[in-house]
Amino acid sequence: MRKVLIVDDAVSMRQMVSFTLKQGGYEVVEAEHGQDALNKLAGTTVDLILTDLNMPVMDGITLIQNVRRMPSMKSKPILMLTTEGLAAKKEQGKAAGATGWIVKPFDPEKLLQTLAKVLP
Amino acid sequence: MSEMSGTLHSQPGSGASSFPVSLAGSASGAAREVEAELAQYLPHFSRMSEQLRQTSSQIESSVVEVCGSFQGIAARAQETVARTTGFLSRQGEGSSDARSFEGLIDNCSGTLVKILNVTAEAGEISRRAIERIQQMDKASQAISAALLKLEQIAGGNKILALNARIEAARAGQYGAGFAVVAMEVISQTEKSQKVNAQVNELITNLRTLAGSTLEDLMRMNEKDRERVEQCKHEVDQSLSDLQAAHGEMKEMLTGMTEEGALLATDIGAAVRGLQFQDRTSQRIAHVVEDLETLRARLKARFGDGPVASDEGFSAYTMHEERTVAGTGESESGAGDVELF
Repeated sequence: MRKVLIVDDAVSMRQMVSFTLKQGGYEVVEAEHGQDALNKLAGTTVDLILTDLNMPVMDGITLIQNVRRMPSMKSKPILMLTTEGLAAKKEQGKAAGATGWIVKPFDPEKLLQTLAKVLP
Repeated sequence: MSEMSGTLHSQPGSGASSFPVSLAGSASGAAREVEAELAQYLPHFSRMSEQLRQTSSQIESSVVEVCGSFQGIAARAQETVARTTGFLSRQGEGSSDARSFEGLIDNCSGTLVKILNVTAEAGEISRRAIERIQQMDKASQAISAALLKLEQIAGGNKILALNARIEAARAGQYGAGFAVVAMEVISQTEKSQKVNAQVNELITNLRTLAGSTLEDLMRMNEKDRERVEQCKHEVDQSLSDLQAAHGEMKEMLTGMTEEGALLATDIGAAVRGLQFQDRTSQRIAHVVEDLETLRARLKARFGDGPVASDEGFSAYTMHEERTVAGTGESESGAGDVELF
């Protein structure tokens, strides 16, 4: 079963994404901000990361920059899931190493299709 | 959370502040009046911020609760669909699964055919037994006829022996020996007639027994044939009804599977709809941020301001709101019951 790390400071969003992914047959790990995600990644490997942009402690862009330095996560897909849709922000995400950008609110079916598309 | 632009400090396309009143530098008389008015409301800013934070938190808790319920509904729907699909796949055409309805009906039909074959075999055996008994009856009739002839022969022998005795008497002492022989012939003939009569009686009894057995067998054979026909008809009808019920059930289960898929789609739409909470929370967070900034600025200029007045805030109606406003007296909370 493919494992996905969901990073979002909103419990409700984590729950909704988690619910959608579990329905799609994924195993889910949750983190409430970037630093929490890095701590979780120290103890487990995941197939994909789905992260919010603005979060307390560590934001999504910084998380991606840190994750891309990890040898095991160099080529793993990382998707941003955020209410932010500004082109400049997207560019920042792309430069940091994000694989894709999804603007909230997400459509559960489309989210699953996107995951299937980016996962090798 | 603060992904949506719009704070007091960073309104896109605006200056340093989006607030319409200048709070820096020297102020005109009218501006001072406005500032003084604003200063009166300074204590309310922290209440408003708290109200908004609580509202945001309550919305999030509700959404988490609703989402949790959806998870339960979806899990149960998935389980139902999986079980239904499994059942239907076992019922598929050409399925060799013995638990399938087709399999069960086939098994019943097979068993029925076997029972019918066994019954037919028993009927055939009965029929052959009837034939043999009929043949035995014919043989008994032939024996009776033969015994009758023997009886006639014995009668003739007896007459011959009597005539021989008469002739021996006429011959006098020369015929004495012959008379003894004639007497012996008569005696043997009478013994033979007795045995003949006994055999005849036995054969008559045998024929009576055979006749009643034959009748019983024939009656049983006829009844068996009728019963088998009746059973066959009833089982055929039951199997046909079962097949029809199975068809209906399959149709119903297929409908349930489709309903399950629709439910998943509906839940997906609901999940999308519930994400309003994330955006709402962010907006509220931005408003709170603006309020806090404004409060900090007013505080920097006017200090803590006067004691909070409820003027203009009479909309505090709920216990929670009164608690935040600091005006709430001791009262019952949510879920409390008080009977008078």
